[in-house]
Amino acid sequence: MVETQNLSKRYRHFRAVDALSFRVGAGEVYGLLGPNGAGKTTTLRMLATLLQPSEGTANVAGYDIRQQPLEVRRNLGIVNGGMQVYERLTGREVLRFFASFYGVEGRLFDHRLEWVTHLLRMDDVLDKLVREMSTGMRQKTVIARAILHQPPVLLLDEATAGLDVFARRALLDFVLEYKSLGKSLIYSTHVMSEAEEVCDRVGFINRGKLVYEGTKDDALRLGNGNLERAFIRRLEEAA
Amino acid sequence: MSAVVRIYIKEMLSVLRERRVIFTTLILPILLMPILMYGPLLFFGNAARQTQEKVQQVGVQDVPEAALQRLRQAKVEPIPTQSPEADVREQKVQAAVRFQGGTFTIYGRLSGATQSSLVVSKLETALRNYKDELVAQTLRTKGLSTEILEPVQIRTQDASRVQERAAGIFAFLIPYFLVIFILNGGQAVAIDSTAGEKEKGTLEALLAAPVPLSQIVIGKALATLTVALTAALAGVIGIVLGGTVVRGLFAPLLQRQNANIGGGLSLEPWAYGALLATSILFAALMVSVQLSLGVYARSYKEAQSLMAPLLLVFIIPLLMLQFSDFLTQQSWFYLIPAFNVMLLLDGLVKGSAQPWQVTLTWISTLAYAALALGLAVRSFRREDVVFRN
Repeated sequence: MVETQNLSKRYRHFRAVDALSFRVGAGEVYGLLGPNGAGKTTTLRMLATLLQPSEGTANVAGYDIRQQPLEVRRNLGIVNGGMQVYERLTGREVLRFFASFYGVEGRLFDHRLEWVTHLLRMDDVLDKLVREMSTGMRQKTVIARAILHQPPVLLLDEATAGLDVFARRALLDFVLEYKSLGKSLIYSTHVMSEAEEVCDRVGFINRGKLVYEGTKDDALRLGNGNLERAFIRRLEEAA
Repeated sequence: MSAVVRIYIKEMLSVLRERRVIFTTLILPILLMPILMYGPLLFFGNAARQTQEKVQQVGVQDVPEAALQRLRQAKVEPIPTQSPEADVREQKVQAAVRFQGGTFTIYGRLSGATQSSLVVSKLETALRNYKDELVAQTLRTKGLSTEILEPVQIRTQDASRVQERAAGIFAFLIPYFLVIFILNGGQAVAIDSTAGEKEKGTLEALLAAPVPLSQIVIGKALATLTVALTAALAGVIGIVLGGTVVRGLFAPLLQRQNANIGGGLSLEPWAYGALLATSILFAALMVSVQLSLGVYARSYKEAQSLMAPLLLVFIIPLLMLQFSDFLTQQSWFYLIPAFNVMLLLDGLVKGSAQPWQVTLTWISTLAYAALALGLAVRSFRREDVVFRN
C-alpha cells in the first residue's frame, strides 16, 4: 500500500530526510518513531504530496507521489497534531466540504457520515460550530475529515498531541478499528507507549535516517520489553 | 459543483458568520460615509451662515465715522482699540481694522478654516461697499455717471459637464473611496483565507485534498473579490445615499448657504457599467496581490503589516488625483498599474473618459490581474512559502 524508495528531502545543505526506504502493507500499522525534528513530519508531507522529494520516490496505493499527486491524495488521509478545521463552520459542514472533493456526496455522504460518527462517537457534535467544540471533539472532526472517503492509506502524525486522556484513548481505539478494515496506517509519534499499543511494525528515524526497522515484537526484545529503551540503544549503536 | 465553487461558498460562509467583518466592511461605510463627508461641510456652512447673521465685535483704530456706519450696517460692532493686531492674535476679537494714511488694514487669523476669516470677509465686503460709495460720490460731484466704472460686464458661467456638477466637490472622492474600500474590504478576507488559515492550521488539510492549487486560489480570490466589491459598493452607496438624504433634509439650509454639495452620480448607463467593470478589474488585481502577500506571511499580524504599505502606495496617486486637471494627460498614464484605474474612475465620474482611455486601462489591468493571479498560484505552490512558520 505504501512503499518508499530512497526518499530524501534536502533544504540547501541540510538533509531533513535521508534515503528513506520502507514498506507498509494492507491491514498494517507502521510506527514511524523518532524525536522531534527527526524528519517524521517531512516524510509524511512528502507522502501526502505536500512536499516534493529532493531524491527518490514513493508509491501510495499504487500511485507515484511525483507523477500522480492528485491520485495519491484521493487515496490518502492525513492528520497531524497541528491540523485544524474551519471554526466558523459546523462539524457537518466541514465534513461535507472535504468529502465533496472525493466525490462523497448526496446519499453516499449521509451513509459515510453515519459510519464515521459511529466509529468516532461524535454524532452529538455534528451541528455545533467547530469553535464551540472541545479540543477532543475538534480532533475527532479532523480525523473524520481525513477518513470520510475511506482512504486505503491513513497518515497520523503526532495525532494525540494536546488531547486529554479520553480523547487519546478514543483515537488509539480508532487506529486499531481502522486497521481491522484492511487499511494501511503510518503512525508517527515520539511517544513510544502509544506505538507499543497500536503498531505492528516500527521504524526508528533519527536525523532523517532510518536507523532500525522491524516488527514491534523484535523491537521490544531489543529493548528488553521496552520500546523506548530499544530506541535509545539502537541510536547509540548507530552513532 | 466544481471545487472553485465549493471553496468560494466555504469562504463566503466563513465571512458571513463573522459579524465583525460584515460590520466593518459593509455596514460601517454606509453609516459612516455620509457623516464623514457631509457632516463637516454642513457644520462649516452653518457656522458661516451664523457668522453672517450674527453681530461680532471687531477692534477699530482711527476708522472714520462714515466707515463705522458701514460696518454697523454689516452687523459688526466696532470696539475702539490701540492694539488691533495684538487683540486679534490674542483672540480678544475675531478681527480688527486700522485706518492710516488712506489705507484700511484688516487684521484676522487667516490660517485654515477659522471663524476669524469669515469675519474678515464680512469686513472686506463692508469696506469695499464704503469705497464704492466714496467713488460714486466723487463722480456725482463732477457730474459723471457711475456707469463709466463698468464699461463692460463680466459674467462667469460653469461649463463643466452635468456629471461633474452632480459629483461636485466629491468628484475625486468617489474614485478615492472606491479604491480605498476595495483595498480595505478585500484585506480581511484575503488574510483570513491565507495567513489566517496557516496560523489556525486549516490550510494543510485543504492543500492535502485532491484539488489543483489553481482552483483553490481562484475560489479564495473570488470570495475576496466579492467582499471587496461589496465593500466598495457599500461605500459608494453611502456617499450617494448620503448626498441624496442631505440634499433632501437640509434643502433650506443649503439654499441659504448657496452650496452645491454634490455627492451625486449622474452618469450615462454605459458609464455605470464601465465604473463597475473597472472596479472589478482593479479588485481582481488587488485581491491577487493580497493573496500572494497573505500566503507568504506566517501569521495574521504579519500579513497585516505586509499589506499596510499597499495602502500607502495608493494614497499618493489618489491624493494627486484632485490635481488631475493640472496634469497633461499622456496615454502611458493609462498603463501604470492602479494609477490608470484611478484616472479612469475620475474620468468616468466626471463624464470625461474617452474610449481609448477605457480600452488601455481595461486591457492593461486585466493583464496585471492575470499576472498577479499567476503569482498567487505560484506562491501557494512554493513549499518554502506555504510551510513558512
